[in-house]
Amino acid sequence: MTTGTYSNAYTPPVTRWKEHEKIIFRVIFIYFLVQVIPLDWKFYRQLFAISWLHLQYADIFNIAHYTPALLSGTTSYADWAIFLGVALAGAFIWTIVEKNKQHPANYDALYYWLRALLRYRLAIALLAYGFIKFFPLQSPYPSLSNLNTPYGDFTEWKLFSLTLGIVPGYESFLGLVEIIAALLLLYRKTTTLGAFIVLAFTGNVFMSNLAYGGGENVYSLFLVLIALFLFVHDVPQLTRLLAQGRPAAPVRYRYSFTHAWQRNARLAAKGLVILLFIVVYGVQTYAAAHRAPYQYPADAGLAGAQGLYNVREFRINNQVLPYSDIDPVRWQDVVLEKWNTLSIRSNRPVIIDSTNTDRIPANNSLRTFELHGAAARHYYSYVADTAKHLLVLQNRNPHYKGEQLLLHYERPDSATIILTGVNENKAAVYVVLERVNKKYLLEEVARKGRRRAIKR
Amino acid sequence: MSTISIPEIHAVKDNGLPPLPATPARWKTYELIAFRIAFIFFIAISIPNNLEWYSHVAHINWLRLHYRDLYDIARFGSGINFFGNTIFGSSLYGYANWIITLLIAIAGGFIWTAIDSRRKSPAQEYNRLYYWLRVVVRYRAGIGIIGFGFTKLLPVQMPFPSLGLLNTNFGDFSAQKIYWLSIGIVPWYQVFAGIVEVTAGTLLFFRKTTTLGAALLVGALGDIVYVNFAYDGGVHVYSSYFVLLGGFLLVKDIPVLYRFWIRETYTTPSCYYPVLSKAWQYARITLKAGVIVLFLGVLYYLQYVNYKFDPYKQPSTAGVKALRGNYRVTEFRINNRVIPYDPTDSVRWQQVTFEKWTTLTYKANRATFIDLSNGGGGPMRDINRTFELTGTGGGQRVFHYYADTIDHVLYLQDKYKAIPDRRNRVAGDSDGDRQSPYARRQKPDDTIDGSWISAAAWAHIGNENHMIDKTVWTARRDREFAAAPKNEKRNRMVLQYETTDGAHIILKGTDEHKDSLYIVLDRINRPYQVKPSTLDAGKY
Repeated sequence: MTTGTYSNAYTPPVTRWKEHEKIIFRVIFIYFLVQVIPLDWKFYRQLFAISWLHLQYADIFNIAHYTPALLSGTTSYADWAIFLGVALAGAFIWTIVEKNKQHPANYDALYYWLRALLRYRLAIALLAYGFIKFFPLQSPYPSLSNLNTPYGDFTEWKLFSLTLGIVPGYESFLGLVEIIAALLLLYRKTTTLGAFIVLAFTGNVFMSNLAYGGGENVYSLFLVLIALFLFVHDVPQLTRLLAQGRPAAPVRYRYSFTHAWQRNARLAAKGLVILLFIVVYGVQTYAAAHRAPYQYPADAGLAGAQGLYNVREFRINNQVLPYSDIDPVRWQDVVLEKWNTLSIRSNRPVIIDSTNTDRIPANNSLRTFELHGAAARHYYSYVADTAKHLLVLQNRNPHYKGEQLLLHYERPDSATIILTGVNENKAAVYVVLERVNKKYLLEEVARKGRRRAIKR
Repeated sequence: MSTISIPEIHAVKDNGLPPLPATPARWKTYELIAFRIAFIFFIAISIPNNLEWYSHVAHINWLRLHYRDLYDIARFGSGINFFGNTIFGSSLYGYANWIITLLIAIAGGFIWTAIDSRRKSPAQEYNRLYYWLRVVVRYRAGIGIIGFGFTKLLPVQMPFPSLGLLNTNFGDFSAQKIYWLSIGIVPWYQVFAGIVEVTAGTLLFFRKTTTLGAALLVGALGDIVYVNFAYDGGVHVYSSYFVLLGGFLLVKDIPVLYRFWIRETYTTPSCYYPVLSKAWQYARITLKAGVIVLFLGVLYYLQYVNYKFDPYKQPSTAGVKALRGNYRVTEFRINNRVIPYDPTDSVRWQQVTFEKWTTLTYKANRATFIDLSNGGGGPMRDINRTFELTGTGGGQRVFHYYADTIDHVLYLQDKYKAIPDRRNRVAGDSDGDRQSPYARRQKPDDTIDGSWISAAAWAHIGNENHMIDKTVWTARRDREFAAAPKNEKRNRMVLQYETTDGAHIILKGTDEHKDSLYIVLDRINRPYQVKPSTLDAGKY
């Protein structure tokens, strides 16, 4: 095995590993290794399911988002406790084994390799998130249904995402910060600066997850821990330089590769990361942002029907129900999206879909961002038979699986839709929808600015 | 492997201060010129430039302080403004003042250079000037960001949304409003943001922690600059100001970090600390302690009582206890004509709320002018605290009420008014002063017609000034209540209310058009997904 040597640019203080430092290092080493190296069979199932010839950015994102989870589908702090237990046990055994050995491990080399591994692990995570923000995919502009939902009927986490979604430029900026931090991490000399940016940026992401009830607080804290590990290395010297005004020299390790194949392997590994997580992923997220953003279904809705509709008339089993803000049966208003979603507002309670984690769904039926954390409306995807003028509506919320409406539609003019058929309770309905020429203050102000008089 | 120790060029002195460099750093000519320009520029933008600020500071009643008294000390307009704040008629998004100040600083810097070239100037002098310039900038930035940070640390800058706001559709808000609300719903996060800002400011008070404080300041405020541009928040210039000051403080460290990180060599930071005489040392410590006591101790207390009893963006007077919550309009008659529920009707009220403070809101399907300001500033009267209506459309109408609880009459006034009050006067900026063209056509009407409420009713209503907890009866509040309100041309309604426990209310009276109203309200239980926090500002 080759040995770690120092860069010859200067003569640094040589660190002698003290016994307690070695013990702490062994724990940290095993702890991070268990979390970073995929030991989970589910990861390989996922990996082998990928069609590498038709590699999708969703696959890359999901690879980058890997963390081992033993107890449930997503990593929890209880998992961390188990990993820490493993690390403590491993470090104990290691300590004993090493006592009986002639040649102890080269801790400088191990430290070097752990830092290298964690730099790349962290950079990949940041690139995965950075690009879906830089090309604003993660938080899309709110759907029409969401624009027509009362503020208080969203969960905090959904509001966080919608708030970001109205300003794609800002979302891109946040993505750019993540990408820059990742690039700084890929370059050894700027690792500390990159780690500092991650501490501030991802630290804030972690706080936001806690405050808004997001589902990625464990993952973001994991990234913060890595950044902390990478940053701490320079802290004593930075304190001397910047706080005490005293001179300091950096402690750096550089691995001297003695064989050509080692140098080539290093380049190949670095090149592969850049190719996969920057070039391929960057191009694909760019294309997706322009063609098929992943949060909304890709299937087109009924042509020319997009809009908000007032429910002018509503009959159930041939009985007219007048306008009502308390009736759970009578519809209040209906939205038809650009894609094949129809949402109905009524006073019928909604058990919300409280998904709050980040995965990129592959198919349309799983693209349910529009109903995550949103009450007040029921969301249906539909299949339209335009020859027979039939709509088959399927409730998109997993809590209402199998709920179906069969409706015949008529469009006497461009602003009116008449629906007849059966609702979710197999009751006969007759509904007259009338398009509302709704102007949204959000968009009016965005167009005219806050300095002009606006009447809405 | 062998052990090599870093040579200590200077041992730490007994007084605990870091060592002085043996020879002062040599200044190159371009560095001297750049420094002279920077000196004039940064001094100019660290000093208040409008007379109202000086007058404000001179008139502070130090015995009955309001948090805004100190906040206004910390928040002032600066830069050279004798020549106005526009370049070729454009304010350049508000940055024109910086450019004008810079141009003057460049001119001044060259004049200084010309004068200085006639005499020998030891580098020591510039080291000393640089040191004191950094002190001025550090304290300017520190005080400013702490003033800002405390309104978050005790979460009042972004209030938790009122019922009327929770009931408004997402698309019926301006982007600015949506951002403010998104912080308002998570007061604990707002506290966190406040801690970051106050910490950054505090670190700037100490030279050893200046770099860390400046880095935090640039990071946090850099994000806020972008937020203000993205959401049209209106505070982009003031937040950029802190990025500029923080950036200036970091300039000194960039060569050091470059050498340390990129060149990876032994690095000696340049540092200069002046040697002060004993008298100056006392003066320095007194001033420093004074700033810390005032802006960390006193301001914390004032902000705390403001949060507790008088959150500045929401009305602080408790509403009538029985009249609280979400109400359904069960019956609506205007001039004795019944209008059944119809969401498209332009007259009939829908979705009535009585907030926990003195506000009634309803929705009607009728366009109205919208107040697009931030709803900030420091107004004392409840009617002028407009966060609950600014940036909010969707036919939402918001009325302030005075309640005569003896005769059961509400005297309601529209919280929207065409000519908004000036806010942040001391800062000399116009955030929130957005006048509609409609407003400009209207003549200011300074004569308020107090007679719409009889003397007897006023006696029942009481004195608004003293309706909040005694702890927050401040000189500033007295002053504003003593002054006559301006531009009070508002829609007014007088409604009698009948109720036993507030679950069922009958309102009778006249609206702003003198039409007679008869409205039956029934309280509804309206659950929200947005959950109230354990941090709840105000006392109602």
